[in-house]
Amino acid sequence: MTEEEIAAAVDANAALVRLPLADAHRAGVLRYFALAAEMAELVLAVPLGRDDESAAVFRPVAPPEAP
Amino acid sequence: MSSPASLLLAGSATEIARAVRAGECSASGLCEAALERIEATDGRINAFTAVTAERARARARALDALPLDAALPLRGVPFAVKNLFDVAGLPTLAGAKIEADRSAAAADATLVRRLEAAGAVLVGALNMDEYAYGFTTENTHYGPTRNPHDPARVSGGSSGGSAAAVAAGQVPVTLGSDTNGSIRVPSSLCGVFGLKPTFGRLSRAGTYPFVASLDHLGPFARSVADLAAFYDAMQGADALDPACAQRRDEPVGPTLATGIGGLRVATLGGWFETMAGPQARAAVRRVAESLGASATVEWPLARAARAAAFLITNAEGASLHLEDLRTRPDDFEPLSRDRFLAGALLPAHWVLRAQRVRQRFAREVAECFAHVDLLLAPATPVVAPPIGTETLDINGVVLPARPSLGLLTQPVSCIGLPVCAVPVWGVHETLPIGVQIIAAPWREDLALRAAAALEAAGVCHAPVARL
Repeated sequence: MTEEEIAAAVDANAALVRLPLADAHRAGVLRYFALAAEMAELVLAVPLGRDDESAAVFRPVAPPEAP
Repeated sequence: MSSPASLLLAGSATEIARAVRAGECSASGLCEAALERIEATDGRINAFTAVTAERARARARALDALPLDAALPLRGVPFAVKNLFDVAGLPTLAGAKIEADRSAAAADATLVRRLEAAGAVLVGALNMDEYAYGFTTENTHYGPTRNPHDPARVSGGSSGGSAAAVAAGQVPVTLGSDTNGSIRVPSSLCGVFGLKPTFGRLSRAGTYPFVASLDHLGPFARSVADLAAFYDAMQGADALDPACAQRRDEPVGPTLATGIGGLRVATLGGWFETMAGPQARAAVRRVAESLGASATVEWPLARAARAAAFLITNAEGASLHLEDLRTRPDDFEPLSRDRFLAGALLPAHWVLRAQRVRQRFAREVAECFAHVDLLLAPATPVVAPPIGTETLDINGVVLPARPSLGLLTQPVSCIGLPVCAVPVWGVHETLPIGVQIIAAPWREDLALRAAAALEAAGVCHAPVARL
């Protein structure tokens, strides 16, 4: 992502999740969002198939036993 | 002059428990020795954020009133926990200023209860990086925890207080958490043994989460037998932690001293070699030689797995704190605040894809473990850097210091493998560095057997720092 794309994504997503960004924090947020974008490139480059499911597996919750 | 209790305190937990069970020393005597050692040394180390002296004395007195033959394997052993564990009557700080204003915990965390039920005595809570998001324990709110082997250097993190308290001889065993390396990194930098069990092995109930998808808990100690004794006392299913496996106890104590005969050990290459400095690689060679590991294997997806762990951590950690990030960002740790803020803004696709890559990587590694029992890798790229270090030079590549200390631990915790971090001395003039002994899921017993063999051979040891 270019610097402009990163800045645009940060501003758009901050508005979407209603997260105000103070001027003092903005440079750091841009730097870390850019680092996350680099990490995303590595992740997105891994070819995945239909059967590559998520590691986040839901566990059903049983009701408490009756007293 | 050293008292018998203070001499015992500088030794092992298993010897303390034996001496107390034999009536050679009281739990109260050990408790006082630990409190005195903390009082005498913590001004230089800053491992503790709370000392629970009154509670500890009451617990020790209660133990001393019990018959000597009571079934208490950890009888009289003082221990302390990272301050993200609930301790009844204390606010659970998780290293944060924000949490200091919250209500005190009503009950102890599951693991604290299990250890006290086995006879151990909690003496306090330990410093950490805020919300566990760091690898150095340079905590701006509560001060940095200093490395007992060189107080000008970091202790590692995020469980820095847990490793430093053990290295400083304040207590023989502590508990910490490990999401991306937070047990193994401080173990490496402070020269102690650390165990990150399989994801889901130990209950996390009653602890402040960082990233529920990746959080593990485990012990630090100065001997492998102590790690094993505490680990065995903490095992067991717990319905209060949805990630805790419904699995029978698998005690490691009985097989600890059976040696490494028949075990296939190899060294991890690729990412784990490229991102390790010369001293880290020398430490791995020394351990490999002792364990007879001549082969090298690679995990092609290790770098992508590290990236997946980074994204999951960033997004999930930020989501947990979104309301405080919106309303009081200036109360966060300045060293991690901007990372948290950025994490709240990541596209869902990145994070969901990271969870799928994580599963793919776990399958790849499972196939690798069909041919090998244990794998070796450095725990940190370098020895403990000075407090305030901003960059690391790793084989000519300059990287930001704080996140890079976890480069070699992140891919391993990403897929929940059990790891024993063992301390190696002599590859640096004065400082230790750790090696990860990595096993397949649920095979903590093998990693600990190898660690015990290395300790017995004198390749690894964890001395109390001279303070």
